[in-house]
Amino acid sequence: MYRIRFHGRGGQGMKTASRILGTAFFNEGFEVQDAPRYGAERRGAPIFAYVRAARRAIYERGVIRHPDLVIVADETLVAMPAAAVLQGVDAHCVVLIHSREPAPVWQHRLNLAGPVVILPLAEEREDRLALRQIGTACAAAAARLVGVVAWTALEQALRDELAALGDALVEANLGPARRVYDFLSPQQGCVAPGPVVAAEGYVRPDWVELAFEDARVSAPAIHAALTSEQVQTGQWRTLRPVIDCARCKGCWWVCSTFCPDGAIQVDESGRPRIDYAHCKGCMVCAAQCPHHAIEAIPEQDAPPAEDERGAK
Amino acid sequence: MTRMLLTGNGAAAWGARLAGIEYLPAFPITPQTEIIETIAKWIDFGELDCRMTTLDSEHSMITAAGGAAVTGVRVFTATSSQGLLYAMEMLYTTAGWRAPFVLVNVSRGLASPITLEPDHNDILAARDSGFLQLHCATCQEVLDGILLAYRMAEDGRVRLPVIVNLDGFYLSFTREPVEVPAAAAVARFLPPFDAQNLGFRAGAPLSEAVAVLGGSPYSYFRYQHHLAALNAEAVFEESAVAFARCFGRSYQAVEAYRCDDAELVFVMLGSFATKAKAAVDCLREAGQAVGLLRPLLLRPFPAAALRRALAGKQGVAVIDQNLSPGKGGVLYTELASALYGQADSNPMLVSFIGGLGGRDISAEEFYEMAAVTRRAAAEGQAPEPRLLYAEAELCEIKKWQAIAQVQRAKEGQP
Amino acid sequence: MSETRFQTMKDLPSCHLLGTGTALCAGCGGLEALHEIYDILGEKTVVVNAAGCMTLLAVYPFTPFRGSWLYTAMASAPAGAQGVRDALDILLAKGRLTAEEDLQTVVLTGDGAAYGMGLSATSGAIERGLDFLYLCYDNEGYGNTGQQYSGATPHGARTATSKGPCGYPGYKKDLFAIWAAHRPAYVATVVGAEPLDLARKIEQAKNRQGPRLILSLAPCPTGWDFDPSETAQIGRLAVQTGVWPLKEYRDGQVVHTKVPQKRLPVEDYLKRQGRFAHLFQPQRNEALLQEIQARIDAYWDNLQS
Ligand SMILES: Cc1ncc(C[n+]2csc(CCOP(=O)(O)OP(=O)(O)O)c2C)c(N)n1
Ligand code: SF4
Ligand code: SF4
Ligand code: SF4
Ligand SMILES: [Mg+2]
Repeated sequence: MYRIRFHGRGGQGMKTASRILGTAFFNEGFEVQDAPRYGAERRGAPIFAYVRAARRAIYERGVIRHPDLVIVADETLVAMPAAAVLQGVDAHCVVLIHSREPAPVWQHRLNLAGPVVILPLAEEREDRLALRQIGTACAAAAARLVGVVAWTALEQALRDELAALGDALVEANLGPARRVYDFLSPQQGCVAPGPVVAAEGYVRPDWVELAFEDARVSAPAIHAALTSEQVQTGQWRTLRPVIDCARCKGCWWVCSTFCPDGAIQVDESGRPRIDYAHCKGCMVCAAQCPHHAIEAIPEQDAPPAEDERGAK
Repeated sequence: MTRMLLTGNGAAAWGARLAGIEYLPAFPITPQTEIIETIAKWIDFGELDCRMTTLDSEHSMITAAGGAAVTGVRVFTATSSQGLLYAMEMLYTTAGWRAPFVLVNVSRGLASPITLEPDHNDILAARDSGFLQLHCATCQEVLDGILLAYRMAEDGRVRLPVIVNLDGFYLSFTREPVEVPAAAAVARFLPPFDAQNLGFRAGAPLSEAVAVLGGSPYSYFRYQHHLAALNAEAVFEESAVAFARCFGRSYQAVEAYRCDDAELVFVMLGSFATKAKAAVDCLREAGQAVGLLRPLLLRPFPAAALRRALAGKQGVAVIDQNLSPGKGGVLYTELASALYGQADSNPMLVSFIGGLGGRDISAEEFYEMAAVTRRAAAEGQAPEPRLLYAEAELCEIKKWQAIAQVQRAKEGQP
Repeated sequence: MSETRFQTMKDLPSCHLLGTGTALCAGCGGLEALHEIYDILGEKTVVVNAAGCMTLLAVYPFTPFRGSWLYTAMASAPAGAQGVRDALDILLAKGRLTAEEDLQTVVLTGDGAAYGMGLSATSGAIERGLDFLYLCYDNEGYGNTGQQYSGATPHGARTATSKGPCGYPGYKKDLFAIWAAHRPAYVATVVGAEPLDLARKIEQAKNRQGPRLILSLAPCPTGWDFDPSETAQIGRLAVQTGVWPLKEYRDGQVVHTKVPQKRLPVEDYLKRQGRFAHLFQPQRNEALLQEIQARIDAYWDNLQS
């Protein structure tokens, strides 16, 4: 059985990727399971979707614990513990990363025993079309790497799954998909179907006796304030707002008022400061600043932000 | 202490009054309404320092009850049948908040067809809600049960809401002598509400009843809820000992009547169990070793006590005043699961469905259930579940069907 | 409005009280309004919430609130507020809570709850004169479940359950009028994109007693299909085109607090949102566009007369 996991951000079309790949496998006569991890999918937040495909009935279900192929649509997710990109990745598993850096760099950085394949990052195009194309490209990459999905099956899947978006969009996606599919032809078939967890010599679950705890601690209640600030929503960002101090007139803090997340505080000297640990990169501030003092910079090109590591 | 004639509803109101309830969110429904009317009158005439708010529905009523309980006051409320079902989402929800309060349910059969008369499908629909359940057999037990319920609900080892159940009509509107304890004695048994770490106030931020993401935290909270519910059995036993010391009446999680030397045992819930008691006495007089077991506590389910009491018995007649369509009696299923897989107790279990929608159960029917159960025990084979329904009843229905169809034919054809 | 402490934009809070790090979408217009409102209401509040996007504000063990919060269910947040308010009053009366420890009871729900499932509970709370502040963030659909149409969805909008060529066939319910018909202490419409107007109204509401209800338009990049950076712009366009009249009901009167002198054509608002794209592509749906414009014009014409 093939077990493939797609990691991306909400809005990058990971669900679509899993559906295209699932349908392509199906067109090739496979039994298939595809699903997004369901939950609150927010644009920019890490999400994943997965596909299983086999020549016989699939009895496994749910999240893939031991993937054969992990596809990372957004390289900034790799360092993010919450994204759990590398969960269950072992020497058998192929990792495909959408990145500008070459495979050996990633191999070394992540200390991976298995193969790493790079899907080069296209030139920056932060429009919605580009975002959707990431998902399609990822599906095409997976189809090529498993080696058992012909272009015709993939093309049909793509047409079927994107049909609702209209012909123009389907055509706009076919080209890039084909290019990815061709580009990875040297790696065709590098993903091998993985084994099942054997019933012999398995690792015993470390079950515990859950002991009673008083409702004072065991009720779903939070006896504290502002604990959400421990959640680093700054990691959702693909664009970073940067205030140009020279242009900022310290107006009535339009940026700070409109920032939906309250991620811009005004310091004692009356200057706005962006809390990059939590700024989600919506760019409302940039759009609203009357003096055009806030610039949007793609995250990859931006230096690590000062206060990104700790909560403010 | 005074002894007076009280209906079950009156006893419920007295239980609430003696418990010193501070808040009563309310909504009317037959046969419960008399409870809130009685308390409303006491409030209006200054006899009870309590705030009452009538909400727009039972769903809202239980939400308000839970909201007030987690804010830190002693809350009482009451409903019945359709109201209990309308509130169902909030039963699960407020129990999950670990909000301690007491809800009286006056059992009434559920629509459809809509009826006013009692059976236990309403209360058993709330079986898995996370509320604890006390099932009363007499008006006295209604009053006493409410006091016991507050002790359980508010105990740190439990902190869960409790439903005290009484049967519509057979208890709700039926007067019996009830000993009403003195307020001072009750105050010794039931101290004022200790809200522990519950309560919204400035300077003590509290985000209550928050969401979880993922099965792990969910499993933890749900299982803790379960463990707290299990604790409630020991807390009940302790409270019952204290209750006996204060008021001289003793209660067990499972009431056993002439069971010790019984060969056959009736098992049933609620007020009709006193009919079974009468039948037991007559059967005993006729030389038959028959007893009765009546769980007063249904949640937590007193499985060990039932197992102990039924060990070595020949046969058990489980009489369900409820029906799970496509399955059968709920109490029968619960009991079977408690007995199955045990090394030493394997009495023959026979299932009877009776008393649906307030249908009476006659003495003769009890005798016959004993006979059927004895036969099954001897043969080692349980018969199919039996609905208590007589030839004469069917004849009546046939007559009515004729009328109903004549009516339809008239309208349908020109 | 001379009594306000919010005379100019400069008077708006520059420090924000609602915590960051919540799971709401980047660019959420509802969150924009909520954080502006929370700045004024402050932490002496208990926010009683109904199921919707905002339920994900507090996910164990993370909360953005400085004060308190209680999640209830979709239909009954106003009833939860009733229970909490009643209990606080009981505690105050019995001396178990000091006046300084007391909290404002705030209900926070989406439009799905406010216009539909929770309307009975709201009506009951108003008729009982409950001392609370209701805040509805109106993203014009069941957002948390993927933006199906609700009683608040505007005519013609595409939602997950109205994907046909004409979009949603129904008309947005007039919740302001329904609320005002109950004669509560205060009702107002606001939008996060008009923060000064919003601040004055929340100040008004805060200083009154009894039922006070705030209806905030909540531009929703996810459900309305626009780029998250445009949230404030779209909110402002809703006001400038007359789609979202800013008004208040107080002392038995309805007053418009910001009458657009020269209303922009509604198209300016519709065009920016994917949910109305079918009105322009593949060809303009002139009839529907005219109908939408005519209804807005009629609203404002009625006011004049
Ligand atoms: C009784 C009930 N029915 C349905 C749901 C599913 N549900 C959760 S949130 C939601 C949408 C609520 O819509 P709205 O009030 O507009 O809030 P929004 O999601 O837009 O923030 C629904 C239908 C629920 N939680 N409870
Ligand atoms: S809106 Fe622009 S000018 Fe005003 S404070 Fe922010 S960055 Fe400075
Ligand atoms: S991009 Fe600007 S407005 Fe958006 S979250 Fe970041 S700081 Fe706030
Ligand atoms: S779906 Fe809309 S209302 Fe809900 S969190 Fe996202 S932007 Fe906000
Ligand atoms: Mg909504």
